[in-house]
Amino acid sequence: MKLLSILAGLALALFNVVPAAAADPVRFALCYDLSKAYTFVTPQIAQAVRDYADLLNAKGGLEGHPIELIVQDHGNEPQRGIECYERLKREGVMVFDMLSTPVSRAVLPRIMKDGNILIQSLVGRGDAVDGNVFKWVFPIGPTYWGQAANDIEYIKQKSGGTLKGVKVAFFYIDYPFGQEPIGILKTLAQKEGFELQLVPYPLPGNDQASAWTQIRRLNPDWIVSWSLSNMHVIASREMKRNGISIEKYIAVNWLNEVDIKNIGPDVAKGLKRGTNVAGGSNQPLVQQIIKELYDKGKGNGDRKFTEDVYYNTGLAIYSIAFEGARLAIKNGGWPLTPDKIKAGLESLKNYDANGLIAPITVTAQDHGGGGKTRIEMWDGGKWVPQTDWIAGFQDDVWSVVKEQSADYAKSETQK
Amino acid sequence: MLFRQAGIFHADYSADRALFPIPADRWMIGILLLLALAAPIYMNTLYLSSYLLPWLIWTAGALGLNLILGWAGQFHLGYAAVMGIGAYAAVHATRAGIPWEIAIVLAGITASVIGSVFAFAALRVKGLYLALSTLALQFVMDWTISHVPAISGGTQATLQAPDIRLLGRAVTSDAGLYYVALVWCVLVTSFMLNLRRTALGRALVAVREKDYAAAVIGVNSFYFKLVAFATSSFIGGVSGAILIGTFYHAVTPEQFSVDVSIQALAMVIVGGLGSIIGSYFGAAFILLMPGVMNSFISWATTKFGFSLGIETLAHLPQAFYGALIIGFLLIEPLGLGKIYNNIRDYLLVWPFGYTKK
Repeated sequence: MKLLSILAGLALALFNVVPAAAADPVRFALCYDLSKAYTFVTPQIAQAVRDYADLLNAKGGLEGHPIELIVQDHGNEPQRGIECYERLKREGVMVFDMLSTPVSRAVLPRIMKDGNILIQSLVGRGDAVDGNVFKWVFPIGPTYWGQAANDIEYIKQKSGGTLKGVKVAFFYIDYPFGQEPIGILKTLAQKEGFELQLVPYPLPGNDQASAWTQIRRLNPDWIVSWSLSNMHVIASREMKRNGISIEKYIAVNWLNEVDIKNIGPDVAKGLKRGTNVAGGSNQPLVQQIIKELYDKGKGNGDRKFTEDVYYNTGLAIYSIAFEGARLAIKNGGWPLTPDKIKAGLESLKNYDANGLIAPITVTAQDHGGGGKTRIEMWDGGKWVPQTDWIAGFQDDVWSVVKEQSADYAKSETQK
Repeated sequence: MLFRQAGIFHADYSADRALFPIPADRWMIGILLLLALAAPIYMNTLYLSSYLLPWLIWTAGALGLNLILGWAGQFHLGYAAVMGIGAYAAVHATRAGIPWEIAIVLAGITASVIGSVFAFAALRVKGLYLALSTLALQFVMDWTISHVPAISGGTQATLQAPDIRLLGRAVTSDAGLYYVALVWCVLVTSFMLNLRRTALGRALVAVREKDYAAAVIGVNSFYFKLVAFATSSFIGGVSGAILIGTFYHAVTPEQFSVDVSIQALAMVIVGGLGSIIGSYFGAAFILLMPGVMNSFISWATTKFGFSLGIETLAHLPQAFYGALIIGFLLIEPLGLGKIYNNIRDYLLVWPFGYTKK
C-alpha cells in the first residue's frame, strides 16, 4: 500500500512539471542549498535577491519584463543540483546560480555543453574568470585567489612596503575551499620574500586546538584565515586561550554580524576581514528596500537580515546579474537567448552594483570584471575600511588562473 | 490469481532450478525489460537523464553493497570510497588514452584490489569494529584524494571526464548514456540473481548466519569474506566509473564523500538486506524521494494556497522524508523488498487467504 503512495507522489511530481508556456518574464534559477552546509549564507542571499527583484518589478522590471525567481533547495547534493538544472533548463530558464562549490562543479560540464549562463560569484572554480575558456561561467567579483593576494597586499602596506622577514600563517580548513589559495600564496611568498606557514585544521572545523598551539609556536605577524562562519568563532576562542592578539587575524569574507555577536563585539575589536561588498544597512539600495518593502510590510523575510553583510552580498551579485540581463534586452531585444545574456554581462562597464562593490568591467576575456576587495576592521561597533578597494598582484593571480584554465581547456580537447 | 501456481510441474532439474518458476514473474520481468528498453521513446529526456539513469546506476551500486552487507553479512561504511576509487581510476585511465571499455574494467579491478587490501586488515575484526574500520577506508580515501593533486586534478579538485566511447564511437545522447547504465544494471542484477544458487552464494550466506558454524562445515569464512569484499568492490568501482561517465561528466571528491556512503547504506537497509528488488526500491527511495517530496510540497503549497518561507519549504520535505524512512522501517523492518514480497505472497494464494503460510 505504501508503494502506492510512492507512486502517487511520483505521479504528482510528473504532473507538476509541465513546461511553462512561452513566458514574458525574465527567469532566474536559484538552486540553493537551503538545508545543509550553506545555510549560514543562503537565507540572507535568497531574501536579498527576492527583495531586490520585488523592488525592480515595482518599477517595471527589466526593460518592461518582470523578473521571476525560482528558488529551490538542492541540499548541497550534486545529484539534486543537476536535477534542478536539468528541469529548469527545460522550462526555459537560461541563468543559473548554484551558490555551492560542489554543485557548481557538478553542473559545470552541462552548462558548458548546453551553453547556459552559470552565475558563480564567490563559489566554484576560481579559474572560471578566464572567459576565453569558461565561456558560459560568470564568477563576477573577486576570486579567492584575488582576495588572498589582496590580504598580502594589505600586509605589505602595513609592513612598510616590504614583506622581507614577515611571517604569515595561512590558517585554513583542510578541504578544497581552504586549500584553494595555497598556490597563489606560495607564489607570492617566493616573489615577495615573506615566510609562509601552512596551518591546516580538519573538518568539520570544531577542533582547532592543535592548529593554534602550532601557531603560538610559530608566532607569526599575521594570520590569514580561510574558514567559514562559526569556525571563526572557535578560532577567536583558541586565540584567546593561546594569548594571540585578534588584531593579527584576517578572515576571509565569510564572517558576518552573527559571528561577531558570537565572538562578542568587544572581544572582536581589531579583527580584520577581507570583504567583497560594502556591508551594513546604511547603503542607499538597502535603505531604499527597507523604505519600499519592509516599512510597508512587504519584505521577503526577517527585517533583521537586512543588517547582515550576506544580505548585501546577495544584492551585489544580483544587481550584476539583473543589470546584465537588462543590457541584454536593451541591446539584443526580446526574446532573450543565452548568447544575448552573455553579451549583456560582458558589456558591463564600470558597474558598481548600486554602490555595493568596487566598479567592475566585464569583458569576454575577463569574466571576473577585475573584482576588488578591501580589508575592514571591526572597531567594536561597526566595520571600518582599512584600505581602498584594491586588486593587488593581478599578474600573479592571472598567471595562476591561466595555468589552471589551460589545464581545463586541455581536458576539453581530449574529449 | 495473478501468480497462479496451479499446473506448474517441475519435470526436470533445469525447470526446478529456473530463476522464475512462476510464469507471472517471467511476464512481469519481460514487460519491465521491454518498458526499460523502450524508455527513450516514451519518456521525456528530463526523466530519462535525471531520474531513471542515476537510479539504475545507484541500483547497481546498491546491489554491490548488498552483496557484502545482505549476503555476506559484513558491514561496510566506506562503499562510496570504493566507488570513488573506481571513478578516479576510470577517469585517469581514459585521460591517458585507454579505451573506455577497458578503463571501466580497470576501475573495477583497482577498486577491488584496494577494497580487498583494506579488507585484509579490517576482517580481523567483526561487527561494529568492522563497520568502523571500513569507515576508516572512507576517510583515508577522502584525505588521499584531496591531498594528492595527481589524483584529484590540482587545487580545483575537479577532473573533467572525457566523453565515453564505445567501440570508438562517442556516446553523448541521453538515450545512449541511458542504455549504458541499463546494460550495467541488468548485468549486475542477473549476476546477483544467479549468485543465490551458486556455491559461492550459499557459502556467503553460511558465513553471514554464523561464521564459525560455517567453518565447522568446511567453509573458509575468511576466504569467502575476502571474496565478497573483492566482488562487491568490483561492482562498486565499475558503478562509480559509469556514474561519472554517464551522469556527472566530472569527478570531484564530494561526489563520493562519507554522506554518500551513508546514503548507499540507507538504500540497502531501506530496500531490504539481501533483497534484489529491494535494492531497486531502496535506491529509488533514497535517491529520488527528496526531489519528489520537494516538488510535491511546492505543488501542494501552490495548490492549496498557503505560503511558506523558502527555508521551511526546504526543510519540510526533509522532515517528511525522514518520517517516511522511519515509517517504512516500522511497518516492515526487512525493508521495501519485503513489503513487495508480502504483497506477492498474499497474491500467491489469493483468494484463498486461509492457506496463508
